[in-house]
Amino acid sequence: MAAVKRLKRVAAAQPGFMSFKSSAGSDDLNSGQRKRVNKNKKKNWNKHSDIQDVEEFLDDVRLQERATGGLISEKPDDSLFFVDIGEQRKYVQPEVQEGKKGKKSKSRPLRIDLILQHDSLVPPPKDILAHQQPNAKKLRRIAENAEKLAAMGVLPRRQKRLLNRRPAVTASKSKTAANNFPDRPYYDLWGGDAKETADPYYLEQTGKKRVKRPEKLNSKPSVLPAVEVIAPGGSYNPDFFSHQALLLEAHEVEVKRERAELRIERQLAVNREDTATEETVFQELVEGLVEEEEDEDEEEEDVSIRGGLQQEKKTEKERRRERADKIKSQQKQAARVFTDKKQQLFQLRSIQATLKRGEQQTRERVAQRKANQEAEKSMPRRLGRLRFQAQDLEVQLSDEIPGSLRTLKPEGSVLKDRFKSMQKRNMIEPRERAKFKRRHKVKYVEKRAFREIT
Amino acid sequence: MGGLQKKKYERGSATNYITRNKARKKLQLSLADFRRLCILKGIYPHEPKHKKKVNKGSTAPRTFYLFKDIRFLLHEPIVRKFREYKVFVRKLRKAYGKAEWTGVERLRDNKPGYKLDHIIKERYPTFIDALRDIDDALSMCFLFSTFARTGKCHVQTITLCRRLTVEWMNYVVTSRSLRKVFLSIKGIYYQAEVLGQLITWLVPYQFAHDHPTDVDYRVMATFTEMYTTLFGFINFRLYQTLNLVYPPKLDSKAESELKAEHEEDYAMDSESYLEKLSALSASLARVVATAEEEENQLDLFPTEGENMQAREKEQKEQEAQKRLFEGLKFFLNREVPRESLAFILRCFGAEVSWDKSLCIGGTYEVTDETITHQIVDRPDMDKQYINRYYIQPQWVFDSVNAQMRLPVEDYFLGTTLPPHLSPFVEEKDGDYVPPEKLKLMALQRGEKPGKSRAELDSEEEDEEEEDEEEEEEDDEEEDDVDDEELTEEKNLKKMEGTRVTPGKVKPWETGSVGNKVRLEQEEKAEEKRLAIMMMKKKEKYLYDKIMFGKKRTTREVSSLRCAPAKPTRHITCHHSKVQT
Repeated sequence: MAAVKRLKRVAAAQPGFMSFKSSAGSDDLNSGQRKRVNKNKKKNWNKHSDIQDVEEFLDDVRLQERATGGLISEKPDDSLFFVDIGEQRKYVQPEVQEGKKGKKSKSRPLRIDLILQHDSLVPPPKDILAHQQPNAKKLRRIAENAEKLAAMGVLPRRQKRLLNRRPAVTASKSKTAANNFPDRPYYDLWGGDAKETADPYYLEQTGKKRVKRPEKLNSKPSVLPAVEVIAPGGSYNPDFFSHQALLLEAHEVEVKRERAELRIERQLAVNREDTATEETVFQELVEGLVEEEEDEDEEEEDVSIRGGLQQEKKTEKERRRERADKIKSQQKQAARVFTDKKQQLFQLRSIQATLKRGEQQTRERVAQRKANQEAEKSMPRRLGRLRFQAQDLEVQLSDEIPGSLRTLKPEGSVLKDRFKSMQKRNMIEPRERAKFKRRHKVKYVEKRAFREIT
Repeated sequence: MGGLQKKKYERGSATNYITRNKARKKLQLSLADFRRLCILKGIYPHEPKHKKKVNKGSTAPRTFYLFKDIRFLLHEPIVRKFREYKVFVRKLRKAYGKAEWTGVERLRDNKPGYKLDHIIKERYPTFIDALRDIDDALSMCFLFSTFARTGKCHVQTITLCRRLTVEWMNYVVTSRSLRKVFLSIKGIYYQAEVLGQLITWLVPYQFAHDHPTDVDYRVMATFTEMYTTLFGFINFRLYQTLNLVYPPKLDSKAESELKAEHEEDYAMDSESYLEKLSALSASLARVVATAEEEENQLDLFPTEGENMQAREKEQKEQEAQKRLFEGLKFFLNREVPRESLAFILRCFGAEVSWDKSLCIGGTYEVTDETITHQIVDRPDMDKQYINRYYIQPQWVFDSVNAQMRLPVEDYFLGTTLPPHLSPFVEEKDGDYVPPEKLKLMALQRGEKPGKSRAELDSEEEDEEEEDEEEEEEDDEEEDDVDDEELTEEKNLKKMEGTRVTPGKVKPWETGSVGNKVRLEQEEKAEEKRLAIMMMKKKEKYLYDKIMFGKKRTTREVSSLRCAPAKPTRHITCHHSKVQT
């Protein structure tokens, strides 16, 4: 009850509040006897409290809002009243209509837009907080305090924390510049060694310590220099003899290559004896038809002879003679060996000579092997499926030599030279470009559009 | 007979090697990544001595690596980065396939990258180690910097290579360490001496590229990636040693000079800076402004007197060589290779300029009266100034190689040039030396060019000159060349008494000084003869053989020299053109 009363009081307290229904609230307040009920129960409160006046008031407010778009009491006078000064002239409107006559349909809004238009007069609920701020006093006090502190030069804690924060590591971490970034910075890599401060055992156990590079890896795989200077004949304006020397070298390479080609050709050539002539064709046809009688005869003879020999038996006399011969030859052999040994005493010098020769030969071979091993150090090794193939010699023929630097036409490619040099120095294995292999057969289909034309 | 039977291929060389494919699987990398890793870490395939043992009985050719090397690779942090990258690519492809563009962007932002600094440090523990291995890096970077930006490799790589090479050239110019240049048909070879190391590199001619198809560009790009990192660190250190600002800056004075011209229409400031640097026409800014060049005196050690003197002399010569073109003012015509000429001329202290429309950085005009040399490579010039030489570019290169300013007459406009000799050839005594080189050597000794030319004309005199030279070089040489019999006879006569041997009168044999010299010589010859007599039979035989060989080579050389009166270039090769 008290709430209703208060509300009414509030409404009445509104300056200039006008109720829409004039009759409202005339009879309610003075209605005589009250019903006696217990007020300590919520149910009773709900049942017996009289809230009609409040509802009427609220209804009235809603009605006002619906009908006039706000409380009438709040409206300015201009919107409620107007000064009647007779009829108004309207000559602007017809002109506009004339201009738009052709596009009449366009000027009118679409029906769908009209449907969608907001036509309720109830405005969106008012934001109460727009005018009043919760905790305004407190905030004001805080702001005042902060101002005072700022004047003294004391930063608030939050700002201090922001300032104290480390520069963002993540930003730089994520943006590792590529190694070929043109403006990348460099620094003194070999400058003073930064001593490891952490415990070496800890570093080792956590895998943070770098593994030492084996010393052997620092030796180069070949003794050849990185940049091999071309022979003096390769000058753009060479001396006659050095140029000839270079030409000769190139010529020899070419001859060798040609010879290899010729050899292959020779091996591939068809042997003339292998081709069929009339005679050989006939022979083949007749093969097996003509009987070989002579062979059979010979075989028979052989058998007869062998049989005869087998049947013969050695006599005692023959055996004795054989035995004596054998002993004699053995004795002769022994005597021969003995005399040879005796003779060797006189051959000492020549034997010594042969020994020396043999030693000399061994020594030469050792030297040769050493030399070969030395030479091998500068040779390209077999590192893969393919062998190293030297680059073609860069040569300009006598009539190609330019008279001046301006007319010089460079020979060969430096890129290829570098690439081959790396292969030659065993840094990379020689490879060939991967060939494109088609996995499935290509299907040819004539398009319909094309087929129609033809 | 006890114990287990030994199994084959479980010990020895079979376990020391690992095939490429197995290594790849062990590292869980794709073949391309594995190859990249090996190049970066400097691990090369190895040819085993006993292939059949290593290959478990098969003789099929395979690529082998040492097992220990691969085990070492397992510890490399970059391996993980490679794997991460592989995953990144997979994710990216997936995101693309699903058209998740935010996902693509996020992935791209977090693209995994890797650094090579620690590998460089590991492979080259000291700076000198790195400097020794810079030949390859130089050649590669110079090569890549001349590439066209056609998508054969990353444009960024090309730009980086260009920047590094320009830095290098600026260093060489400032330190004046260039020694030799050789114009070959392939490219230009340079040799410089940096901190006591001889460094040779090859620079291709500009616009000389056809892209060969049988070169693996991926491999080359990987090498370049490693070399650019190495090269940058070396450059930094080298600039430090000279007290130069590292990302090189032009001298403030020079910069203002260059700035004076209107170049706003040329390019943006940031873009043209590298070009200005690459013009090489201005000096670089130093960290501490010092006097241009301090004369660094050699420390004197009293103990080694003669040695010291020789060294001092050498030092002086080097200093003189460094100032070869100092005080000269060159102008380059537009048809000559500007960059190489500017580089060389600046290396020896000359001032260089060129036409404004040719390149940025020209400091003076053609009309400048103080120009001493103009380098021209065309048959004729319309307008010539009287107070300057018009010479062909070869003069510069030849002068650098000869370590002296050669007479300009041979190199004038329109004349046929003398051959350009390779400075990288060092003849042993007895080898054939081209007549031009002989002439040059005479010039270097300070003889007049006219005389030597006269000598060259007639063969006999030429031979005499040759003799003279040999005598100058080595007294023994003379005896070797002479017939053994003659010496024998001479010595016999000497035994009889000290008589003057009848012979040709040597030019220096005049007066008592000449007598003394001759006496000394004879004494030496006598000693030698006795030494020969004392030789064992075997050694004598060897000695005779050596002498015979020497004589033969000299004979051949002399016949070679006699053969062509005038070497002409019109001898054509009678074989078909060698395939190139």
